[in-house]
Amino acid sequence: MLEAHYLDGQSTQLRVVQLTVDGGDLVVAGEGVALKVPFASIRVDERLGRAPRRLRFDAGSFCEVRDLNGLDELLRLAGHADGWVDRIQRRFRFVALALIACAVLVFSCYYWVLPYCAELIAQRLPPTVGESLSAQVLKILDGGVLQPSALGAPRRRALTDALHRLTLPGGGRPTSVLLFRRSPQLGANAFTLPDGTIVVLDDLVTTIGSDPQILAVFAHELGHAQARHSLQLLLRGTVVGGFLALYLGDVSQLLAAAPAAFLQARFSQDFERQADDYASAVLVRNGMSPGLLADALEKLATQHPERAGGGYLASHPATAERIRRLRDLAAAQ
Amino acid sequence: MNTTVSSGSEPLRFTGSGAEYFGIWIVNLLLTLVTFGIYSAWAKVRRLQYFYRHTEVAGSSFDFHGSPTKILIGRVVAVLLLVVYNYSVRLHSPLTLFVLIGLAVIMPWLLRNSLRFRLYNTSWRGTRFHFRGTTAGSYRVFLLNGFLALITLYAMLPFAHQRLKAYQHDNSWFGRTRCSFHARAGSFYAIYLGVLGVVALVVGACLALGVGRAIAGYLKLKAEHGHIDPVAMIRTVGVLYLVVALLAVSVGPLFHALITNLIWSNTRLGAHRIECRMSPPGLVWITLSNFVLVVLTLGLYIPFASVRLARFQLEAISVKTAGELQFEAAEPEAIGAVGEEAATAFDFDISL
Repeated sequence: MLEAHYLDGQSTQLRVVQLTVDGGDLVVAGEGVALKVPFASIRVDERLGRAPRRLRFDAGSFCEVRDLNGLDELLRLAGHADGWVDRIQRRFRFVALALIACAVLVFSCYYWVLPYCAELIAQRLPPTVGESLSAQVLKILDGGVLQPSALGAPRRRALTDALHRLTLPGGGRPTSVLLFRRSPQLGANAFTLPDGTIVVLDDLVTTIGSDPQILAVFAHELGHAQARHSLQLLLRGTVVGGFLALYLGDVSQLLAAAPAAFLQARFSQDFERQADDYASAVLVRNGMSPGLLADALEKLATQHPERAGGGYLASHPATAERIRRLRDLAAAQ
Repeated sequence: MNTTVSSGSEPLRFTGSGAEYFGIWIVNLLLTLVTFGIYSAWAKVRRLQYFYRHTEVAGSSFDFHGSPTKILIGRVVAVLLLVVYNYSVRLHSPLTLFVLIGLAVIMPWLLRNSLRFRLYNTSWRGTRFHFRGTTAGSYRVFLLNGFLALITLYAMLPFAHQRLKAYQHDNSWFGRTRCSFHARAGSFYAIYLGVLGVVALVVGACLALGVGRAIAGYLKLKAEHGHIDPVAMIRTVGVLYLVVALLAVSVGPLFHALITNLIWSNTRLGAHRIECRMSPPGLVWITLSNFVLVVLTLGLYIPFASVRLARFQLEAISVKTAGELQFEAAEPEAIGAVGEEAATAFDFDISL
């Protein structure tokens, strides 16, 4: 005997009934109700917290049960088994396991799956994607922080020619376009756009001075271009942003945006090391020493110490460690 | 049939618990992750069922009947629309305008569908709600009034809001019983202007106080030392920043509580009145403390926060009954979930 409310789906009138199991049938009896329903035709709602559970019959009628343990007993007698999701979400052990599984899944995706997929996709995207993205980015930067270069045309041509005379480690010559700009805000800096275009700022050229050392910085940027690092960053950023919006979006849009920027920062360190390795290979291939890049980095660090927070070194972290690595590579030659 | 007219108050009760919901939430999250988001439709149904079934009035709980497969189809269409939208706004070509106009034209239709889906899939004691607003009406409230609000620099926004709620609530039915909406545009203007006034007052006071203090400090220090104290400057600016940030995050909940009280307290279901008395400072407190706890627990507090917020909002509502709560059901309908999911994807909050 189990007390329930019977509702016919035609009106909100509640009828108090008693439920019993008779063989394969559910017997519903009470105020003006006498039903015998084959258990196989009944849809049983899952047990969600302490909410009343419903046994649904055809045509919208149902019984609503508040005594959840009594209902479990009745369902056991009737041979009904709850769904597996239903069962695991209310057992402490499985919930704890799900929590650990989520954490492991999210971390492994972030550390291994995401970088791997981003690299795979970045290398296979058609060049037009990079070109249209670069055009947009450059348009925004030119309208804001970037100004036309004040370097003389002969100096610019000399640097461009030097870049294009380099031989790449796999043979062939760099195809990257070299753009000169000036920016009081960004200071001594150089960066690579998604299509491989290298943008170099006047302050970097004047700070470093020596052409072979500037060329070493270009070689480093070629490393970024060759591995399509900016596209990879974009892809990773989109996925991380999407996940955070899904996870935290219910709470706050602001909350979802903040960690995205923070999580993004870690990526760049690996990329810098990769670009340094590529630059070393380029320099060695052209009969130059990887030490040239280390020299350039040291100049940027010592001549512009006040810029350490905002210039080339801020977006290129752990400089001391990078300089040491490059010196080791040079010594190994 | 009981013909004696008894009047009473039936408060809404929410019986969910954060610990219970945590289990559902984490299993939903795990399954959504391992199925690359496909399970999210089933997760949504389970989440809504948890909240609906733990919401009771007069001893009976609500129920959600949405079909996960319909929600999944809706989500796929919504994601496609979102991709088209994002891609076209970045393209800057004549096509962009075409796509934007196209989206603006289908949005009212989608939002009307969303209202139909949500209400039809909500039931109490086996009787479903219905939304019977016309398509023409949805174009009027979403497109025409939205446009009016825009060209009058939001001066007509409270009016547009009132028309939207009237469209929503006047066209809502519980079975064969119709709802009605009685709040006037003037009351909407009062709340909009009141909240705006509070913001202006606080910002004004901050500016007056902050600038005054800064100038006084500057003059004093300049007279004494010949230079200004940077630490004092930073402290003043920091305090101002904190006050403005607190204001920025409190305005939303404050407005939400006031406008929700207005809307629901002026809604009737047949002869029964609904009353909503949500405390505005209470909602500000719940929102802020939830925010802080979610950050500190890296998101693990989310299910507890959702339950806490739901309890606070739902238990502010009661039904002032005029006679028995006896209703007849209406004919069944068939409604897809594309509108519902598109509304979610484009972040249209029409629940207010």
